[in-house]
Amino acid sequence: MPRELEPAIAQREFVLAALKQGLRTDGRALLESRKPELVFGEELGMVECKLGKTRVFANVSATIVRPRQDRPYEGLLTISSEISPMASSVYEAGRASDEEVAITRMLEKVIKRSGAVDLESLCILAGQRVWHIRLTLHFLSDEGNMLDCACLAGITALRHFRRPEVEVIGEEVIVHSPEERAPMVLSMHHTPICITFALFEDSSSPVLDPLHLESQLATTTVHLALNAQKELCVMHKAGGMPLSVEEIMKCVKIGVERVREVSKMVNEALEEDWKGRVVEIR
Amino acid sequence: MSRVELLSVHNYRSDGRRPKELRDISLSLGTHGHADGSALVSHGLTNVLVTVHGPREAKSRANTLFDRAVLSVNVDIPVFSGGQGGKRGRSDKRVLEFTSAIRQTFEPIVQTQLYPRSQIDIFVQVLQQDGGLLQTSINACTLALIDAGIPLTDYVCAITCALHDSTPLLDITSLEESDLPNLTAAVLPKSGKITLLTLETRIHVDRFEEMFTLAEDAGKVVHGEMLRAVTTRTERLVRAMEKGGVQDHSRTGIERPSARRAEMDIDMDDV
Amino acid sequence: MFSIISPSEPRFDNDVEGERRHGSKQKDAMDFDLDDSENVTSPGQFITSSATFMRGHGTYVDQEEVLASVAGTIERVNKLVSVRALKSRYTGEIGDLVIGRITEVAAKRWKVDVFGRNEGVLMLSSVNLPGGVQRRKLESDELQMRTFFEEGDLLVAEVHQFFNDGAISLHTRSLRYGKLRNGQLVTVSPMLIRRLKSHFVALHCGVDLIIGMNGFIWVSKHAKEFEGQSEEGFEAQAVYSNKNDDIDNATRTAISRVTNIIRILSRHSIPLTDSIIAQAYDWAMEQDSNEVKEMLTDDYGELMVQALLAFR
Repeated sequence: MPRELEPAIAQREFVLAALKQGLRTDGRALLESRKPELVFGEELGMVECKLGKTRVFANVSATIVRPRQDRPYEGLLTISSEISPMASSVYEAGRASDEEVAITRMLEKVIKRSGAVDLESLCILAGQRVWHIRLTLHFLSDEGNMLDCACLAGITALRHFRRPEVEVIGEEVIVHSPEERAPMVLSMHHTPICITFALFEDSSSPVLDPLHLESQLATTTVHLALNAQKELCVMHKAGGMPLSVEEIMKCVKIGVERVREVSKMVNEALEEDWKGRVVEIR
Repeated sequence: MSRVELLSVHNYRSDGRRPKELRDISLSLGTHGHADGSALVSHGLTNVLVTVHGPREAKSRANTLFDRAVLSVNVDIPVFSGGQGGKRGRSDKRVLEFTSAIRQTFEPIVQTQLYPRSQIDIFVQVLQQDGGLLQTSINACTLALIDAGIPLTDYVCAITCALHDSTPLLDITSLEESDLPNLTAAVLPKSGKITLLTLETRIHVDRFEEMFTLAEDAGKVVHGEMLRAVTTRTERLVRAMEKGGVQDHSRTGIERPSARRAEMDIDMDDV
Repeated sequence: MFSIISPSEPRFDNDVEGERRHGSKQKDAMDFDLDDSENVTSPGQFITSSATFMRGHGTYVDQEEVLASVAGTIERVNKLVSVRALKSRYTGEIGDLVIGRITEVAAKRWKVDVFGRNEGVLMLSSVNLPGGVQRRKLESDELQMRTFFEEGDLLVAEVHQFFNDGAISLHTRSLRYGKLRNGQLVTVSPMLIRRLKSHFVALHCGVDLIIGMNGFIWVSKHAKEFEGQSEEGFEAQAVYSNKNDDIDNATRTAISRVTNIIRILSRHSIPLTDSIIAQAYDWAMEQDSNEVKEMLTDDYGELMVQALLAFR
C-alpha cells in the first residue's frame, strides 16, 4: 500500500501555528463548517453533496427480495461505500484502508444501526416479499471530512428517494409504475447528521469540518452523529490524544447546534427540489 | 424474539446484578511463558487472552519508522467464542475497526519513541464473548504490555455502560448490548481523561453526560483492580528474584488468577 | 456515591509478610521516603519531583514529576532515578558478553538476534579472520562471509558499541569469542543474569558454561585451554568449524543435567550465578534418582530450590 507522505515540516509548523492563533488555511473560523451544497439528480434518490472540494455522490435504488429468515417483517438496507482511487491517489481499489474502514463502519452505524430507515415499513408480504434498499456512495474527491459529506449525501438521498407503490392482492404483489400511482417516500424515523471534529495539541477549541491536511495533522478526531431531536446516535473517538469529559461535552454541545442548522438546510433543499418536480398522477 | 426483562422493577438486572455493579473481574498476568508479555482477562463470561511480542526487529522493512516503534495489532475472534454473525475473517470490517481502535488507543500510551525501527506485536485472542469485548480486550492489552516491560505512560482502563430507560447499567452483557444504547469508554486514570469513546444508537444528549461520567468513575474502579493485580505480581516476583524462594507460576502456566469481585453499589436513595 | 465492596485481600500463602526486600542496600540521607511496598512501581505512578532528581530508564517526566512507566523496582544512583522492569528484552551495555544467532548475512555484516529490540550487527571488520594477523578485509573475504558464519549459527560475542538508532554492534575480536559448538543453548529472561567476574564458567563436572548477558546460555563440553591456538597458529578450521567433537555419554548427561538445572532455576525466578549452578549440580548428584529427564517435574524443582535456599 503506498503510504501517504506526511506533510512537510514547514507546512505542518505553519498550519499548527496558525491554528494556535485561531486561523485556518482556508480562512474559516475554527468552528465554521464549509457550507454543504446539495445537487439533486434527474432521478429520485440521486444526490451529490459538495463540502468545499470534497464531493460524494449517493444513489438509492430499490428491489424486491425475500426477507431474511430471522427477520421476516423487515426490509433490507445495504450501504456500499468503497473508496476508489478516484477520490485520491492514496486509496487503492479493492483494498480497505484504515480510513475506508472507519467511514464504512461509521456509515453503517449512523444510517443502519441507529434505525434511520423504518425497515418494517419496507415489508410487503411478511416472510415473502420485502423491499431491499441499496444505498451506493461514490467518493468523487477527497478534500477532508469525507465521512460527514458521505453521511449527508446518503441520508439526503434516502429522503429524496421514492419507491414505487405496491399493492397486495392475496399472494400477488402488483408494482405500480410511477405514472400510474405516485411513488412513496421512505418512512424515516429520524435524520442523523454526522459531525467531525479534529483536535490539536494546544489549540483552545476543536476544529469543525477538518480539511484533509488538518486531519492528517490532528492528534485526534471525534465523530458525532446527532439528529434534530438532540439525540446522540453514534459517537466515535478511537485513541489519539486523550480528552477530558468537558472537552468531549463541548464537542457534543457544538454538534447539537450545528446539526440543527444542517437539518434545516436539508429540509429546505429537499422541499425546493420537490417543488421543481412535476409528478404526474393520472 | 423473546423479550427478557433487562431491569426488573426491583432494580435487578437479568443476571441478578444491580445497575452499577460490575461483573467478576479476573486478571492474570504472564500466562504464557514464551511471549514477552501476556495477560488473560475476563469480565464475567467475556474472556480474552492477549500476548505481546517485542519490541523486536520489524518483519518488513517497509513498515518500520525511523523515530519510533510500530504497533501491530492482530485480533482473532473465532466462531467458538460465541457472538452473533458466524465467522469473522481478518478482513471483516468490524474486525478491522476493532483492530484499529485498539491500535489507536495504545499508540499514544506506549512510549514507542524509545524503540526506533522496532515493532511491537499485540495478539488479541478472544476466547469467549458475552458483551464488552472491546472493554475486555483493552484491559487485557494494558496488562500484557505491562507484563512485557514495555513503558506506558499510564494504564488504559475500559468499561461499558448502557442506558435502560433512564437507568445507566455498567459492564453490560451481550443481552444488554444488543438491545440498549451503549458506550465503551477507555479512561486514563492518572489524568482522568478519555482516550477511546464509542457510542451506538440514540440516546438523548442530556442522558449521555450522566452515562459518560459514570463510566469514567467505573473506569477508575477497574484501574484499582488492575493496579492490585500488577502490584501483587510485581512484589511476588521481586521477592523471588531476591530470595529465590517463591514459585513463579507464570512460567509453569498455572497462574493463580487474582479473581475478585468489585462492585459499584449505589446508595439506595440515589435512585 | 459509590462504595466498593470487595472481599478480603487476596493472600498468597507462601508469601512471607514483612520480609525486607532491600537486603544489603543501606538507606542513606538521600533516599526517598519509600517503604518497601512503595519500592514497587507500576505505570503512571508518581516517584519523585523532577526538580531534585534526574529521570533514568523506565521513567518519564510529566509536569515536573518523575513517573514510572514500567512495573518494576525503583533504583537510584545519586540523583538518577530509574525503574528496573521485571521482565523486558535485553538492553545492551558496552562490554557485555552476549550469545546470538545469525539471522541474515548482509553486505559486510551479519545480522544477529540477541533478544534485543533490534537485531544486533556483527561487522565483517569486527571478526577475527583466519590467518591470524590483523589485516584489512578484502573483497574475497566479503564473498566468503558464509564460510565464517551462516544463518542459524550461534556465536558468542561482546557488545562493541551502539549505532545511532540504538542497535547493538558486536565484535568477536578475541580467541574466546566466535562460533559455538559441542553443546546446547538454554534461554532465560535477561533479568535473571547477574554480572559475574567471568561469564566463561568451567564447572568441575567437565561442562563449560557461557552465560550471555542477554539471557542466552551455552552449555558445552569442556574445552581445553585454547589448545594450539596461539595468535599465529589460528586455524579457520578450528574456529569456524561446524563439526562437533566426539562427546562421550557421561559428558552428554552432564550437559543435559546442567541445562535442566538452569531451566528449574529460571522457572523459579532465581538469578543465575556460577556458584548456585555448581551447588545445584552437587545437590542433584546426591539424589537417589539420577535420571536427567525426571528433573523437570515440579516436585523435583521445589525440592531443589528449597535445598539451595537452605544452603545460604
